Amino acid sequence: MADSIRLEIITPEKLFYDHKVELVIVRTKFGDEGFMAHHAWACKLLAIGEIWVQEAGSKDFKIGAISGGFIDVKHNITIFTDVAEWQEEIDIERAQERLDYAKQYFETHKQAESDEDEFLKADITLRKAVTRLSVAGGGSRRKR
Amino acid sequence: MSGNNMRDIKRRVRSVTSIEHITNAMKLVSAAKLRRAKATFENTHEYFHYVTECIEEIFNNTREIPTKYLLGDREIKTTCYVIITSNRGLAGSFNANVIKQAQAEINADWEKPYIIAVGSKGRDYFKRRDYEISGEYLSPPENISFVETRDISKPIIKLFNDGEIDEVMLIYTSFISSLEQRVKTVTLLPLDLEREPGIAPLSRPVEYEPSVEEVFNYLIPKYVEIMIYGAIVESATCEHAARRIAMENATDNATQMIDDLNLYYNRARQAAITSEITEIVSGADALK
Repeated sequence: MADSIRLEIITPEKLFYDHKVELVIVRTKFGDEGFMAHHAWACKLLAIGEIWVQEAGSKDFKIGAISGGFIDVKHNITIFTDVAEWQEEIDIERAQERLDYAKQYFETHKQAESDEDEFLKADITLRKAVTRLSVAGGGSRRKR
Repeated sequence: MSGNNMRDIKRRVRSVTSIEHITNAMKLVSAAKLRRAKATFENTHEYFHYVTECIEEIFNNTREIPTKYLLGDREIKTTCYVIITSNRGLAGSFNANVIKQAQAEINADWEKPYIIAVGSKGRDYFKRRDYEISGEYLSPPENISFVETRDISKPIIKLFNDGEIDEVMLIYTSFISSLEQRVKTVTLLPLDLEREPGIAPLSRPVEYEPSVEEVFNYLIPKYVEIMIYGAIVESATCEHAARRIAMENATDNATQMIDDLNLYYNRARQAAITSEITEIVSGADALK
């Protein structure tokens, strides 16, 4: 068994998760990255994406969706994000609704001629919805 | 005459009793809401320090941070006041305290203030006094979510970046205990950070990704967002605490008043009986 490290996931509303883990995989701005105990100290910004957590002593991964934020790796790992949900908490209907909305937006609007903020917002909505649906469906990574 | 007096007193007792019922019910409702708000408040409060610590840590350990958000980068001209009050009254001096402090701050500043009012009480006050309200947010603060408060903080950060405002002040009520709340003024931006010699630099190098600058530029707006969210949650807790105390006092006063009125009523009744007896006795005496 690999060494374990304490992982805390903090949202502004509550302490979302606090447990010893062996491995946590998150999506940084440059792509998916896994962190284990004794990782070099780091402070990285995260993109909207999935989070995979392997708890100490467990073979399975817990899968969740997080909406950006940053990860701080020191003696503990701390992830700070605006919204976080585990697989079982995701409201699939709502995510589907948002996805449809975002798709429709991109069909009717061109980037060059639409409001920059709104375009960005729709893009974020799309990413969040895709992530949520993918997480709800078991995650994008193949299970080992 | 005394019968008339008795009827008046009785009527007053009845009206005060119904007031007492209402204030008592409001007290119970506030107490329940306070308990819920306090739980949220405690949840959020615990993790507040985290972002601040992270900012300080980066600040203390690196040289190449952008100075845009720091004190001394530019002259402070326009100040933006974020004033957090409630949407409802009957909470004792809760709103008056915040407004008084805000007014004092604005009076001390000779530049034109940029007011953002959260809660209708503050907005109404400054609107009546012909201040320009640049932003207002009136949704009930009890179950506001972090994502919703971003609608408040986003424009503030944008205005700061554009140079429209040079300083952001947050005026809200801070929760000390259920019995005590105090108005607090916090300067959100620019940050007044100092290199503290006391803090030892980290023992190991830290990788910042994509870059120190970007991490820092991400953290500062986040800090503003979290502070505003926290202040709204805290202010909502205070509102309920203040209302509970105000309603408790009102209920106590009403009980006291009912007691007094009952005493007067009984005296008046006694006086009426006495005078009736005197009349009968004197009538009987006259017949002898």
